[in-house]
Amino acid sequence: MWTRWSDIDRMFQTMDLLHNRMNRLFPEYGGSSAIPAWAVTQGGPRTNLYDLGDSLEMKVEVPGVEKDALNVKVQGNYLEISGSRKSDAPEGYSSHRVERGTTSFTRSFTLPSDVDTGKVGAQLTNGVLTLTLSKLEAAKPKQITIT
Amino acid sequence: MSERTDVVKKDQSMPERSREIPAVVPLVDIYENDEEILLRADMPGVEKKNISINIDNGKLSLGGIRKFESKGSAQWEEFGDVEYQRTFSVPQTIDIEKIVAELKDGVLNLHLPKSEAAKPRQIEIKAA
Repeated sequence: MWTRWSDIDRMFQTMDLLHNRMNRLFPEYGGSSAIPAWAVTQGGPRTNLYDLGDSLEMKVEVPGVEKDALNVKVQGNYLEISGSRKSDAPEGYSSHRVERGTTSFTRSFTLPSDVDTGKVGAQLTNGVLTLTLSKLEAAKPKQITIT
Repeated sequence: MSERTDVVKKDQSMPERSREIPAVVPLVDIYENDEEILLRADMPGVEKKNISINIDNGKLSLGGIRKFESKGSAQWEEFGDVEYQRTFSVPQTIDIEKIVAELKDGVLNLHLPKSEAAKPRQIEIKAA
């Protein structure tokens, strides 16, 4: 009998640990588990952030989300991305399998440095949103010459 | 107990970890009407030229490779290069010559039209 929620949490943690170890032992099997499916559904789309020195580059995985359905807000070092994917079920078809579902998300980030809100580039290609955020002058790396 | 943690630590820095890109099963929707079967698959980040669709002996295999050119230092990385792979059984009644595929916003739309013989037909009853 489970007495506390933490017991269940602990059980899941143990299962995750086992899962990771099995993955490490047999990396070639069950490739789909490299990124567990349940990790995707929590807290919006997956993102990558790269520091390019003068600017930051963020990639966001948003398959099937149209340009107009995405919103990006930047202030100082705060970035917020929101969007939604509506059902794209075609009219007059019967469905055999629906895995893709609809979502609506908001995800916010604290960037490692302040960015110039006037110079933010956003591009959507093949379902991946790429944001180019140039850092403020004060946050850019400076070469110091030794005299 | 201390020995045990040691083993775990060694595990995590195992140098022989596979460099292969992980294979992932794309999520799909499958719809059907009288004219065709429509398959939609989420394949974000895959370019058109990196998608392969093969039909052989009633098996439709869908593949796509996603590769990012990452520059700079990663602050965090939640997704990376993957290989999408999934195989479906398709009925023999599909007109293979007329299959159309299009890619939009990282979603692959695959139209599999049914051959004429497989389409439903209304039979008219003639008055005797």
